[in-house]
Amino acid sequence: MSPGRICKFVSLIFVLGIFAWLLRPPSDEEMERDANLSLQTSLKASDTKYVIKFAPGIFYMPDSTPYDLGKPLQGLKGVVREFERRFPDTQIEILTVPGRREYLVTQLSSGQAPDIINVNVEDVWIDVQKGWYIPLDTFLESPNPFVLEKGDPDLPGATQWWDMFKYQAISRGKAAPDNKNYCLTFDLIETGIFYNKDIFREVGITEPTDWEDFIHILQKIQAAGYTPLLMNIWSFNDWCKDLFFDQLYYGILPGIDLYKDPIREEYLQGYLDWDELAFLYEKGFFNAEDPRYVEIWRQMRRLKEYTNDDLVSTDLTREFVTQRAAMLWMHSMMTWRLVADRQLGFDWGVFYLPRFTQETSPYASGEDMCVIGGSATQIEVTNSAVSDTNVEWTLEERMARSRRLERVIQFLQFLCLPEQYEKVVNEYAALIPNIVGVTPREEIEPFRIILEGRYTTTKWVFTFDLRFSDIQQRALSLYLTGGSDLDEFLSWQVGNLDYAVSNLLKRKSVDRDQLEKAWRELAAIRSQARDLPSTVLEGDQNL
Amino acid sequence: MTLSHRTWATATCYALIFPTLAMLVVFVFTPVLWAFSKSLFEFEIGADALFVGVDNYTEYLGRDPTFFPSISNMLFLTTFAVFIQLTLPLIVAKLIYVLPQERWRYVYRLIFLIPTLVPGVAVMLIWQGMIYSDRGMLNEFLRGIGLASWATGWLANPRTALYAVAMIGMPFVGGFQVLIYYAGLSAIPDSVNEAAAIEGCTGLRKFFLIDVPMVLSQLKLILILTIIGGVQSFENLLILTEGGPGFKTMVPGLWMYYNAFSFQRMGYACAIGVVLFSVVLGLTLLNIKYFRSTEELQETT
Repeated sequence: MSPGRICKFVSLIFVLGIFAWLLRPPSDEEMERDANLSLQTSLKASDTKYVIKFAPGIFYMPDSTPYDLGKPLQGLKGVVREFERRFPDTQIEILTVPGRREYLVTQLSSGQAPDIINVNVEDVWIDVQKGWYIPLDTFLESPNPFVLEKGDPDLPGATQWWDMFKYQAISRGKAAPDNKNYCLTFDLIETGIFYNKDIFREVGITEPTDWEDFIHILQKIQAAGYTPLLMNIWSFNDWCKDLFFDQLYYGILPGIDLYKDPIREEYLQGYLDWDELAFLYEKGFFNAEDPRYVEIWRQMRRLKEYTNDDLVSTDLTREFVTQRAAMLWMHSMMTWRLVADRQLGFDWGVFYLPRFTQETSPYASGEDMCVIGGSATQIEVTNSAVSDTNVEWTLEERMARSRRLERVIQFLQFLCLPEQYEKVVNEYAALIPNIVGVTPREEIEPFRIILEGRYTTTKWVFTFDLRFSDIQQRALSLYLTGGSDLDEFLSWQVGNLDYAVSNLLKRKSVDRDQLEKAWRELAAIRSQARDLPSTVLEGDQNL
Repeated sequence: MTLSHRTWATATCYALIFPTLAMLVVFVFTPVLWAFSKSLFEFEIGADALFVGVDNYTEYLGRDPTFFPSISNMLFLTTFAVFIQLTLPLIVAKLIYVLPQERWRYVYRLIFLIPTLVPGVAVMLIWQGMIYSDRGMLNEFLRGIGLASWATGWLANPRTALYAVAMIGMPFVGGFQVLIYYAGLSAIPDSVNEAAAIEGCTGLRKFFLIDVPMVLSQLKLILILTIIGGVQSFENLLILTEGGPGFKTMVPGLWMYYNAFSFQRMGYACAIGVVLFSVVLGLTLLNIKYFRSTEELQETT
């Protein structure tokens, strides 16, 4: 027999041997062990009445390691275990789901989404009329049962669950345009300028006091051979636009703030809602004839001179930690990246963007830069939470009769107890706690201070539909990178606004009479303002 | 008996083909017809549909700001792809074909086939991250040879983005096309090659006068597939640039995707899909009518 045949024969016997071992009858011990395991599983299965699916998003995902630095997160897992111990009929499954809207839309429309999700509530507002989300007002206005258990009626949450939230203005300001609240502002995030103190010392500069000073230090850093400021197109399109808009329009806000929201006004004084912006656009604001509007983009282009060239694919974090750039405009999550990096070879700090001056623009209000951050983890309860009820019933009826929803809400109320909440939010230095009695970690104190500022006048990106935001970002990207000039950009932007406003007015009912009435009443205030668009002035004269 | 047998055989054939046909109808033709009908509605997932007639079409063809830039980008990318796919792989196939030893012909075919095993998404990410990024190979190479001022964000710069996208896949000798052309060249009868050699028709002259006409069927196939791919595909652009900067790399297919799933304008997206379908159908019919394959040429002559 040749060696090749022997080899084949041995291989065959080996393979047959493995199969024979796999197919062997189990021993008595193994059978007993399997039976016990099966019994435990079936007991657990029979006990579990509610399997609640929770997609917390990236910030607190158990076993994930933010920025690959430090230990894997365990906080949320611990809270879930404690809840499951208290409610043995409930199992909380923590899921990772794609962050893309496409996924959510398909899951929600088929009733397959997790019971609890974390989505920007502005994305939720678009779909509230479809019954995909559960309004939380009745629960928030009732006591938190876990606080009541403690027996102290003065504790926040003993009267209303709402009272447990520290940042009331931001949390309540997340009410949808239908005045219902679909979102729990679980924690907060704010942006700031992270800066390399070593480079600042080398160049001989300090934190800026106003915008012109800021531009001056950007120039000095550039002259020293560093990238002065790292930004991406999203921060230009979202944060930068809101800040600049606020700086330039705040002075005339009393003359254009038409609508006093019955619920949100108390918290967001002067906030311009979507219907106000649409109405103001129709009256002649936000076009090439509106000098303040033109000024927003001009100032952005001015700032772009000192940022990274590539606003889309530059790895901002890498550029900053490798000290190629002196400053990075980023949210408070970045704090953890810098705090936890033991090999970071420089000293760093955080400051907020300074206010415009009259030298910057004649329309500068002189107010400090407003706050544009706010809710980070925005928790919503989906229609899956009422899946134990008849789909033919109204949402209100389903909410009232769903035991599953009751358990979902109980879990969220349990999660909001300070002793549970702290384990999750303060597990690493990234976000600002929003529960009374839980103090932020020391490292993110600068962001807590920034958050004390006045809230923004509006959030443009979340005002109109997603198409508007997408086109605005694309047109802005071209303008900032030299692909189009200001006139071309404004032409795109006005066309975009035109479409978004008409689409919005077509889809949603607007109380025009009320807006017109307020517009007329504010004419006297507007007459004091200078450089209003000519259409506005002519209209006011005809009133 | 014979008739019965024939009937039985025919029935068996129909029975065998029926499941495939049924699935084709359910999963392909029905959605296409559904898309046609929904293109006449303002329709978003989870909400009621509102009949708007041809409004979606008039908006897309008349008022959509992306229409002209995206069509222009699509034409550029498709034309470039057609030019590339009809030339370079054919040249490579010919070079492999003329290798004297079968062993080396096999080795080269294998070498050109291996890259096709890498998933397309991975290829895109490699180009995006390793080659075109700010600190990627291309920019570092330029910096290394003293041309730092030429370094740029290739996919983010409005002046370079479209060309950068077009150049992805360089040197454009994908194994699939090479193999198809190689099969065509291999099918040329020895008698034709020998006759050409006797007549002194060799080198480039033989390539253009004998080889190319003999692989027209393959050229036609690649041409149709490339055009269809060029008009329909958008996934590479979604990964690489999301159609940006601005609309510099936007194509109609990608805009259709955004409208359907990001902006939730399903009816409008269906209308864009119908327009694309019409374009592909028109181009394919033109191709079939005017581009003759080798067999059709032989039949004509």
